[in-house]
Amino acid sequence: MRSTRRQISATGRLVGVLTALALLGLAACREPLEPPIGAAHPGETTPRRGGKLRLASIGDLRGALDPATSAEALGRGAIEIMFAGLVDYDEAAHVVPDLASRWELSDDGLSYRFFLREGARFHDGEEVTADDVRRSIERALHPSTPNPWASLYDMIAGYDEYTQKGAAHLAGVVVEGRYVVSIHLHDKDARFLPVLALPTLRPVCKSAGERYSDSWAPCGAGPFRLEAGGWDHGRSLTLVRHEGYFRPGLPYLDAVQWTYGMNMMTERFKLEAGDLDIVRDISQADVVRFQTDQRWNPLSVFEPVRSIYGESMNTEMPPFDNVEVRRAVAAAINREHYREVRPSAVTISNQAIPPAVPGYDPTFRGQEYDYPAALEHMRKAGYPYDPATGRGGYPGEITYYAYRPGLQEYTAQLLQQDLAKIGLQLTIKLVSFPTFVALAYRRKTTQISNPGWTEDYPDPSDFFDPLFDSSAINEDQSQNSAFYRNPRLDEILARARHELDETRRFALYGEANRIVCDDAPWAFTHNYRFYIVHQGYVRDYRAHPVWPENVGKTWLDRAADAVSSTSPGAAASWASLTGALSRPSGRRASH
Amino acid sequence: MLDVRARKRFLKNRGAVVGAALVVLLVLFAIFGPLVATHDPLQSDFQYGITGDLTPSGPNARFLFGADRLYRDEFVRLAFGARLSLFIALFATLIASVLGAVVGIVSGYYEGTDGIRLPWASLGSFGGALVLLVLGHVRPAEAALCLGLGLLAITALVPSLPVVVRRGPRLNLDTALMRVVDIGLAFPFLLLVMAIGAALDRTTATTILVTLGLTGWLGAARVMRAKTLQVRNLDFVAAARALGQSTPSILLRHILPNVAGPLIVIATISVAQMVVAEAVLSYLGVGMSPPTPTWGHMLFEGQDYYLAAPWLLIAPGAAILLAVFGFNLLGEGLRDALDPQTD
Repeated sequence: MRSTRRQISATGRLVGVLTALALLGLAACREPLEPPIGAAHPGETTPRRGGKLRLASIGDLRGALDPATSAEALGRGAIEIMFAGLVDYDEAAHVVPDLASRWELSDDGLSYRFFLREGARFHDGEEVTADDVRRSIERALHPSTPNPWASLYDMIAGYDEYTQKGAAHLAGVVVEGRYVVSIHLHDKDARFLPVLALPTLRPVCKSAGERYSDSWAPCGAGPFRLEAGGWDHGRSLTLVRHEGYFRPGLPYLDAVQWTYGMNMMTERFKLEAGDLDIVRDISQADVVRFQTDQRWNPLSVFEPVRSIYGESMNTEMPPFDNVEVRRAVAAAINREHYREVRPSAVTISNQAIPPAVPGYDPTFRGQEYDYPAALEHMRKAGYPYDPATGRGGYPGEITYYAYRPGLQEYTAQLLQQDLAKIGLQLTIKLVSFPTFVALAYRRKTTQISNPGWTEDYPDPSDFFDPLFDSSAINEDQSQNSAFYRNPRLDEILARARHELDETRRFALYGEANRIVCDDAPWAFTHNYRFYIVHQGYVRDYRAHPVWPENVGKTWLDRAADAVSSTSPGAAASWASLTGALSRPSGRRASH
Repeated sequence: MLDVRARKRFLKNRGAVVGAALVVLLVLFAIFGPLVATHDPLQSDFQYGITGDLTPSGPNARFLFGADRLYRDEFVRLAFGARLSLFIALFATLIASVLGAVVGIVSGYYEGTDGIRLPWASLGSFGGALVLLVLGHVRPAEAALCLGLGLLAITALVPSLPVVVRRGPRLNLDTALMRVVDIGLAFPFLLLVMAIGAALDRTTATTILVTLGLTGWLGAARVMRAKTLQVRNLDFVAAARALGQSTPSILLRHILPNVAGPLIVIATISVAQMVVAEAVLSYLGVGMSPPTPTWGHMLFEGQDYYLAAPWLLIAPGAAILLAVFGFNLLGEGLRDALDPQTD
C-alpha cells in the first residue's frame, strides 16, 4: 500500500515537474507589444499647453533636492528643471546663456562678467539679482556645505582662502550692480564655463539663507517648482509649472511627475497601458522588442553616449608595466564582440572621449583590433606567442576582478578568450561591487580591470584629468586606476586647461588622445547608452547630451478621451498590470 | 548491496525505476556528452552562434540546444556542467556521509555513558580565552585556549593526578557532538555554506565540494545516531562486547553494516541537495568563477533572455530539475526497498 502511494506521489511530482517546464516554455513565448498612444493632432507643430508628464525610475531619490549638494544621477533631472543657472548646456553640449543674457570675458582671460536678465523671478516671486548669485555661490562652496563638486570650482580667485582659511567671502565673486556679477579666476581656465553650467552654483531663493541647511524647501528660478507635499519621499516627486519663469510661454507642461522604485517590467507594462509617458529603464530583451516593433521604433531614441569603459591596465604591475604588453592587449580585443554581448545598449569605443562630449573626433581611429599587430607587440615585449602551437606568451597568471550585476562578467569572458590568443592567461574572479571598488582603485593591487567613467560635465578635461593625469594617482581610491604617469601628457593637459581658444584646445586634447591610445594605460572597449521610449503624444522630447530628462520644451498632444485618469497607487498599478496581462481589445476606450 | 527481495521491491516501484533511469541518463550525459562535443565549451562562436538580429542562435543541427549569450554551445556547456555538477555533488556527499556516519555512530554508541571529566581549571582557561577574544586580544586568547586543552589532555591521560586538579563536570562525547550538530542545524544550510565558502575562498571545484561536504553531514549524523541507538542494544553487539572485541572493531563490523541502509538512502537524496546547493551558489555568483560552465551560472546567464532565447533558461533549469527529481526518486525507492516492513 505504502509503495503504491509513493508511486502515485512520484507520478504526481513528475507531472508537476513537466508542468513547470511547460509553463516556463509558455512564459517564454513572445507576446506582441501593445501599440503606443498616438498624437491627437499629428500634423500640428504649434505646442499646446497643459498636461502632466509621467515618468518613472527603478531607483529612489534619497538626498536633498539642493543643487549645492546633490550627487545623485536620479536627482539631476529634477534639479536641472527646478534651478536655472547663469549658463546652461544646449543640445550639442555647448555652454549657452540662461539666467545671464550674456557674458563678457576680460582680455587677460581671468574675469567673466555676467549680465542677468532683468525681471527673472524665483519660485517665491522675488527677483533674481546679482546678490542672489553671489550668495548662492558662497553658500554652495562654503566649507560647511557637504558639496561633493566643490573642488571643480577651485579656479575661482580666493577659493582656498574661503574654503580653508576662514575668509568671510569668496573674493573672486564680485557684485557690480543689481544685474551684473563678475567672477574672477586666479588663472586662465577653459573648464570654468562647462563646470559653471552644472547645477551646483545655481541661484537659490533667499529662503535658502547664507549657509546650507537640509531642512530648506527647494526653491529656484527654473521652469518647474516644488509645491508643498509634492515630494512623497520614497514614492514620487511632482513638480508644477513656475508661472513666473523668465522665458515667456514656457514650459508647456503643467507638471512633471516621477514615480520611484518601480521595477523595469512594471514600467514597461505601465507604458503599454498608457499610465506612463516616457520610460528609460528598459531590459535588453525589451529594447529588442521595442526596436523591432514598427509602431514603437519611431518613438524611441538612444541617449547620446557620455561614458567610456575600458580595460584599465596597472602600469606599475607586471606584465602591464611593459608598454608593449599594453599595446598588445589594446590590439587583441575584438570590440565588436563586446558590442554583441548587449547590442541594444553597447557601442564600441576606441578612444578616451565619448561621442556626446565636444572634442570627440569621429575620424580618429584610436585603438583598433589588429591580431597580427597584437602578436608583434607581444614579441617586442619579450613574450613571443605562437598561436599554432600555443607555446610562449606571458608565463604568469593574471587575476581579473569582475563584479555582478552588469556586463562585466560577460565582457571579462570575452577578454579572457581574446587575450588567450596572444598568450596572456586571465583568471576571472567574480566579486561584489564594493570589493571591486576597494581592489581596482588601490595601488599595486589589481593588474587589470574594467572601470567606466561617465561625464560630470561635457568636456574632454573631465575624462583626461581624473583618469590619466599623474596628479590623480592616489594610494587608495585612485581615479587614475592604471596609475599611469606621463610627464608629456601632464604638460599637454595643463596647457589645454589654460587654452581658451576652442580649436587650439581641442587640438591639444586630440594630441592627448593619441598619446593615451598609443601608451594604452586603458584598452578602450565600449560605451554604454540608454534607450528611451515615449508615447506618440509626447512631442518635442529630445535626448540631451547632459541632462537625463530634457523636458523644458516638451508638450503633450493627448486626445481628451485618451487622457489617463488614473493616479499612481496600488489599485491603479494592479489595474494596469492585469490590463496588460489580459490584453482587453478595448483598452484605450476604457481610459 | 540489495538482496533478492529488496531488488524485487525496488523493480516493482515505478518511481524508483524512473529515478534510476534518470540518474543513469544523467551519468551517461556527463560522461559521453563532452566526448561527442564539436565545440569548445569556453569558446564563443561569432560566426554561427549569432543570428542576424544579434541574438543567440536557437537550437539547430550545429548547436543542439542553441547558443548562449556569449554565443557558446549550450549543449556542450550543459554536458560539462553535468560532469562538474555530478563530480561536486557525489564527492561532497561522500565527505558528508563519512563524516555523518562517524559522528552519528560514535555519538549513538556513547550515548548515556559517563563521558570524560572536564576539569574546572581547563574550563576556566576556555572562558578566559573567550573573554580575551571578545576583548580583541587574539594571541593571549590562543594561549589560554592551548592551556585549557593541555590541562584537559593531562587530566585525561594521567589518572594519578590529585582529585583537586581533576575535579569538574563530566562531558559525554554524545552530548558534545550532538550540541555541535544542533548549532550547525540552527543555521540555514545555504547561509552556512556561504560562510564556510567565504572562509575557504571558493573558486575551484575542490573548495566547493569540500565546503558542501563540511556543511552537509549534520542531518546524516542525527539519523545515524538514532539508528545506532537501536542497534547497539541488540544481543549480537552485547555478545561481541562480552567476547572482548575492541570498540572500533564493534563499531565497524557490527554497528556500521546494520545502519548502512539508511545511510545509503540519505546519501542518495543528499546528492540531489548538493546539486541544488551548487547551482544556487553559482546562480548567486558565489560559486565557481566564469567561464566555468555550471548549471546555476547558466541559469543566471539565461534569465535576461527568457523572451529572446528561452532555451537558455529551459536547458539548465530542466537539467537541475531532472537531476534532483531522479536522485530523490532513486533515494526514496531505495528506502522502500531496504525497509523489510514494506513487504
